[in-house]
Amino acid sequence: MRLLTHNFLQSNVRGTEKGYPLNIEVTTIKYEESPVDKEFLLNLLPKVNYNALVAAVKQMSPHCEQPLPELPETMDVSNAEQNQNLDDATISNLHKVLFDVYLVEGWLICPDTGRKFPVKECIPNMILHEDEI
Amino acid sequence: MSRPELTGHASLFYNEKEARKYDSSSRMVGIQREITERAIELLKLPSNRPSFILDVGCGSGLSGQVLEEHGHVWVGCDVSRDMLNMANERIERKREEAMGEGDSSEDDSDNDMNDNNDSNNDFNNSKGGTEESSPGDLLHHDMGTGLPFRPASFDACISISALQWLCYSNTKEQIPKKRLTASSHHYTKGARAVLQFYPESSEHAILISECAAKVGFAGGIVVDYPNSTKAKKHYLVLSFERSYKAPQGLTGLEGALLNEGRSGSGGVRVADKDPRRAAGKKSRGPPRKKKGGGKTKEWILHKKETQRKKGKDTRKDTKFTGRKRPMRF
Repeated sequence: MRLLTHNFLQSNVRGTEKGYPLNIEVTTIKYEESPVDKEFLLNLLPKVNYNALVAAVKQMSPHCEQPLPELPETMDVSNAEQNQNLDDATISNLHKVLFDVYLVEGWLICPDTGRKFPVKECIPNMILHEDEI
Repeated sequence: MSRPELTGHASLFYNEKEARKYDSSSRMVGIQREITERAIELLKLPSNRPSFILDVGCGSGLSGQVLEEHGHVWVGCDVSRDMLNMANERIERKREEAMGEGDSSEDDSDNDMNDNNDSNNDFNNSKGGTEESSPGDLLHHDMGTGLPFRPASFDACISISALQWLCYSNTKEQIPKKRLTASSHHYTKGARAVLQFYPESSEHAILISECAAKVGFAGGIVVDYPNSTKAKKHYLVLSFERSYKAPQGLTGLEGALLNEGRSGSGGVRVADKDPRRAAGKKSRGPPRKKKGGGKTKEWILHKKETQRKKGKDTRKDTKFTGRKRPMRF
């Protein structure tokens, strides 16, 4: 699972109010570079929750062999026109973080209820038990 | 027609054996590809722009593959772990290919697409040039329990041959209606969703569209090739725009072409099914009756046309049709 997907994932166990962002508990991690698609990234950025992304990177980076690029603590990415002015270094950093880091094995933890969702072979299991629906 | 939905839950039916069978059947692959192409067409995404798409019930990633070829990034979710494993293998393979040298068969398919889709020409070329592989991400989830995404995440949503699984209640707790309404709220404003499914009866189709309307979607069911049992496909086309009208389905001869084309290469595209054009002319109902006035000539012609379509005996249109009568005293 990439951080891109994590950024949109939300726990919907019964009783959660927000269930976002999910905390990450890492067992294995994988880093694979891919070519930067600037156009897509700029389309996507306004929808990305930046604070959640920074938090996720912090949880992931201690387990990563290659150090993940440093992101600024706060950044406003909600404005699409403003994003056009971003320099290439920031864009490639964002791309690396969103697209190239994979959580292979680990857990996703709901911040409200503490429900743990297992991640195996890059696939998170978000299936709920009958009493959680 | 056999219906695997009746036997039990999708996660039980699509075990490892079924998943492998499904993925290696060239007939399945052909049909899935055809449907996905049509679904993408119906989505009317802004061309030349990669989008972020949710694939509900992605199975072994056959539909995702088509999305990738169009340059989109996708997230797939499915309830069957074995199907997901197949999809995972596919993604891994793709990644390895991308790492190595460009695969020739992949280049071929790119070229085919360029031929079919002239407007996307530059876009596809640039994709081919950079050896772009934007494989999707997978998620193990039951769509009947609501999707685990925060609101307004995706540019669009597709679902190929999956919705019918929600129509059946295998245990007491699974109320079909509840399961159907659960999956919604996850698309960007102005986004479209195209969900292809096989309803068992017309009641199912009605149930599904009722649920969609309840959640607040506009749109409807598009039926392609309604006269053919084999090629008949139901697409539920939804949008948040209130004024949105579902485009016309495909009819007539094209159904036959579709079946032939599939066995050949890539599928035949028929010129006369541009969805943009179909949606452009909004089908308005008959003009409203004016106060005190009689029925207009247009109204009569329209009515006669519909009667004719139903196969009823109708007088042919002449210059006297709907003519003005002299005033009576």
